[in-house]
Amino acid sequence: MSIYKTAIQKPITTGLIFVAVIVMGLFSLSRLPIDQFPEIDPPYVTIMTTYPGANASEIETNISKILENALNSVDGLKNLFSTSKDNLSIVTLEFEWGVNIDDVMNDIRSYVDLVYDNLPDGVSRPMIIKLNSSAMPIMQLGFTAEESYAGLDKILEDNVVNTLNRIDGIGNISLSGAPDRYVYVDLDPNQLDAYNLSVEVVGNAIAGNNLNLASGTVKMGKEQYQLRVESEYIESSEINNIVVTTTPDGKQVFVRDLATVRDTIKDLSLDERISILEDGQEVLGKEGVRLQISKQTGANTVEICRKVNAEMEKIMKILPPDIKCTVIRDGSIEIKNAIFGLADSIFYALLFVVLVVLVFLGNWRSTLIISLTIPISLIVSFIYLLMADSSLNIVSLASLTIAIGMVVDDAIVVLENITKHIERGSSPREAAIYATNEVWVSVIATTLVIVAVFVPLTMLTGMAGIMFKELGWIVTIVVCTSTATAITLIPMLCSKMLKANKFFVNKEEEKEYLAKQKKKIFSHKNTIGKLFDKIDLWYSKLLRVCLDHKLITMLIALAIFVVSLIPFTNGTIGTDFMQQQDNGNMSIKIELQRGTRIEETLKTARRIECRIHELIPETKVISTSAGSNDESSISALFSGTTNNKINMTVRTSKKYERKRTIFEMAEIIREELKSYPEIINYSVSTSSGGGGGMGNNNVSVEIYGYDFDETNILANELKHKFKELPSARDVTISREEDRAELQIVFDKEKLARHGLSTSQAAMYVRYRVNGMTAGFLKEDGEEYDIVVRLKEEFRNSLTDIEELTIMSPRGEKIKLSELAEISEYWCPPNIERKNRQRYLTVSVTPYNASLGDLAKDVQGVIDQTNIPLGISTRLGGSYETQQDTFKDMVTLALLIMMLVYIVMASQFESFSKPFIIMMSIPFAITGTILALLITGTTLDMMGALGLILLIGIVVKNGIVLVDYINLMRDRGYELKEAIALSGQSRLRPVLMTAFTTILGMVPMAMSTSEGSELWHGMGVVVIGGLTVSTFVTLIVVPVLYAIFSRKGERDDQAKLRKTFVFMDINNADYEYLDKEEENMEVVINQNEEPKND
Amino acid sequence: MKSVFIVYNQANTERVEYILDALNIRGFTYWENVQGRGTKIGEPRRGTHTWPEMNSAIMTVVPDEKVPELLETVKKLDNRNREVGVKAFVWNIEQMI
Repeated sequence: MSIYKTAIQKPITTGLIFVAVIVMGLFSLSRLPIDQFPEIDPPYVTIMTTYPGANASEIETNISKILENALNSVDGLKNLFSTSKDNLSIVTLEFEWGVNIDDVMNDIRSYVDLVYDNLPDGVSRPMIIKLNSSAMPIMQLGFTAEESYAGLDKILEDNVVNTLNRIDGIGNISLSGAPDRYVYVDLDPNQLDAYNLSVEVVGNAIAGNNLNLASGTVKMGKEQYQLRVESEYIESSEINNIVVTTTPDGKQVFVRDLATVRDTIKDLSLDERISILEDGQEVLGKEGVRLQISKQTGANTVEICRKVNAEMEKIMKILPPDIKCTVIRDGSIEIKNAIFGLADSIFYALLFVVLVVLVFLGNWRSTLIISLTIPISLIVSFIYLLMADSSLNIVSLASLTIAIGMVVDDAIVVLENITKHIERGSSPREAAIYATNEVWVSVIATTLVIVAVFVPLTMLTGMAGIMFKELGWIVTIVVCTSTATAITLIPMLCSKMLKANKFFVNKEEEKEYLAKQKKKIFSHKNTIGKLFDKIDLWYSKLLRVCLDHKLITMLIALAIFVVSLIPFTNGTIGTDFMQQQDNGNMSIKIELQRGTRIEETLKTARRIECRIHELIPETKVISTSAGSNDESSISALFSGTTNNKINMTVRTSKKYERKRTIFEMAEIIREELKSYPEIINYSVSTSSGGGGGMGNNNVSVEIYGYDFDETNILANELKHKFKELPSARDVTISREEDRAELQIVFDKEKLARHGLSTSQAAMYVRYRVNGMTAGFLKEDGEEYDIVVRLKEEFRNSLTDIEELTIMSPRGEKIKLSELAEISEYWCPPNIERKNRQRYLTVSVTPYNASLGDLAKDVQGVIDQTNIPLGISTRLGGSYETQQDTFKDMVTLALLIMMLVYIVMASQFESFSKPFIIMMSIPFAITGTILALLITGTTLDMMGALGLILLIGIVVKNGIVLVDYINLMRDRGYELKEAIALSGQSRLRPVLMTAFTTILGMVPMAMSTSEGSELWHGMGVVVIGGLTVSTFVTLIVVPVLYAIFSRKGERDDQAKLRKTFVFMDINNADYEYLDKEEENMEVVINQNEEPKND
Repeated sequence: MKSVFIVYNQANTERVEYILDALNIRGFTYWENVQGRGTKIGEPRRGTHTWPEMNSAIMTVVPDEKVPELLETVKKLDNRNREVGVKAFVWNIEQMI
């Protein structure tokens, strides 16, 4: 008993199985998290090692090099980077995407352990850190306040952070720019000198009086008491009244006599300013605090953001009314926009496909049956996604859009055959059984072709692998499900829903019925049906003409193909890695002159903010950060701002609410920033940043060379030349410039004479300038530093520093200038290395040009530049990734072509037929180039994927055609006739499946929703390629078939029978093989003529 | 008694069964899948890729007087759509047990 027969005979079982599948799918859908990309760990591992006191080049030789050499043999390593800076070595290992990072971590750990003994003494244990995609903040909230500003840190910590931490799935919440409370004791050095005191004495006095101590137990009579000294400061004002010393004449010297005690917020800190605009007017612009929320791995971003927003509404009610909260960035909005945009695309694709089916079939019952396969097949993919622990992301949804056009194909073939049987008078039930029996094998065969295209996608590695793995699986699963539906549910539904042909008992009745049918002028049969009949006939005539002029036809086709390649070879069509997305966010990085004080940096920042308000009225929120919390902390490494750097995040209105694109706005800002003399470097990036650098789009020139000066000169020369290029923007050099430092060089002899050592002296200087932490002020369980140091006006010039008093152990007061020289000095840059060689990069972002064009320009500049001996350059950045990916894609395309060939060859049991069919692939390329040219799109990774998909989609057309020609020949039709008849009969199915696929892609190519740019290229490629190749295939494949066919090759039987001559049957009527073809032609032509008249 | 051998396109299965029942013919022998080709225009039914359709065959043994009625009905069925195809052949039954 065959599967389709069972399905038809047990309609309830069949129906309910599919209902069960749908229910499971919908259940899975409700459980699926929504995310932007498939979950994947970025393949980076960082090893941080500190070596206090070593400078960059010492770190390089003693730590970075040793670690690099050891780690170089870790399996799967792609690139090895290191940065050596003062006190710190950072080694970063880059692996192929998709590598199991946990395994790799173990490897790394053992390698690090191996070499740990070779590292110098005093080196800390290397920290091995795994970069995690969930470490990236998914949401940023900005808080501003008026009166409560000073206490904002604590208010937020207590009310917001603690409450939000309770939300499921939240990984980490951090506050940046929060005002830290500090108690400063600002000493006047003149007063200190007058009383013969030093900073340390004051500090010790303050620390010494700030103490709670358990002092044992006292037993009194029958009881026992704990004895405690309680002397901690309750308020900061108490410090004023601490006695530092008593003068010989008995006077007490209080802290208030020497210093000002300020209970305030930290002086130098990270400056965060949040500015909110409405209609170009600033409604709020204030120093604020930025709250960054990151999620746990695998948590649902959208859900968390929703909960955070709901929770924040409640929290805002209990916060002091002057505190305002703004969303700077809500990761879920981007995701939701992208996902809903794609969901719209799916909906429209579904609508278009159903319309195509309706137009072609003209029967609502058939349309309904076919349409049913779409949701069923798509829903199954949700079950897969849930089982694979994936999410609803732009890849999975786009896969569904791609699949929509293909899932109906099988159903169409089955339904078409069933309809044919019903029209011949079978009852729907029998028609369903026998018609399905006729086509089910070929339905499965065409599905195999699609599977042959998509399964190899799941084997891709690297960045493309992440994107395409899920796509491969989903389309495979969806298409297989659609085939299963086509041979079970579709026949079952046909047997139930289709109506049998009208049956007439006598001629009268039939005449009446036919007359009635004729009256329905606007019925499908009388309008569109007639049109299709005409097209069918016209096409078959055209085919006959072409078959008579095979050579000319082929030459024309060849000419079309060759001409179409011109735009590609002469560079009219550019190549990109990924289309830049306009998601309304810009991140601006500005670098001022080295050593600019934070106050000056902030002034510039404020000016730029004002200009952005004027220039870009579309701006909604600007969040600016500058300075850093603590120059030496690890977090400072990641925050990226220092006293001379400004980071700005600009959020503009939604894409459809504005006329200008984010790229135009970025260009305006770039022009503006150009005019500031104090800015030495700037970049305005529009990339989304999410997804582990997938959004990047740049060409970077890697310059390898040991000598700093030589490489710096070359980098600067290239930078200036790149800036001249019209296609280049945001030219930045990765190596930081030398930083000016004041160096104190102690004279050791003089130090010794005063009984001091360098370390003591250094400590004294630090206490005076940076401050000495003299205990904490405790309040409500929080500790605030008490910092004792000199007043600012006594420590901010070179003379002031020279005038610093240092107390020798003998009580002598010595000025620093007596012990040391202070010289200005340029601190060497951080040493960056890649794959064990010193290097730096000059990166360039394209503007109004494709990545490939820019890379060509950049290469041109490099070729013209004189590169010194010992220095090598190469192109990297996303251009390199693009090149790698394209190479992968070409391999993949070849592999897929092989597989498709194998599937087709086995289906036709022929070596030549698959070649004929594959001749439609070049014309897919023609169409693609044409479409790219017309729409002005560049070929990016998605477009390349589209091309690969075309291999499968395009040959499907050919298979349908060639299969039918074979069939007609087997049934004894002469070659030309078989081809013409097949063309006429198969035109509609070919056009129908092509149109469903093309129109299924239209929403993807036309969508303007946020994030749609990503898929735009693929839509354009598939539409263009399939349209052109369909029309060309319809001519070229039949003509090629005619060219490649030999007489009687289809007639194995005749060949065999030739060997039966021994039977010696003398029958003139029996046609032998050699005569067959000519005779048939004559016979059929005779039949034809009267028809044509 | 005569034996009537009806060969028909599988698409006619239900109708042929109806004919037998409606004419009160109880006994029959049925071959589900048989191959064949028409004498004049009938397309081959081979169950292959080229000729995917298949025939079925029923043989029934009926009294002589039933034969004309049966053949007439089969003719009606055939006339409805010649392409689908049904044929009936009649033999003499010499002996039965």
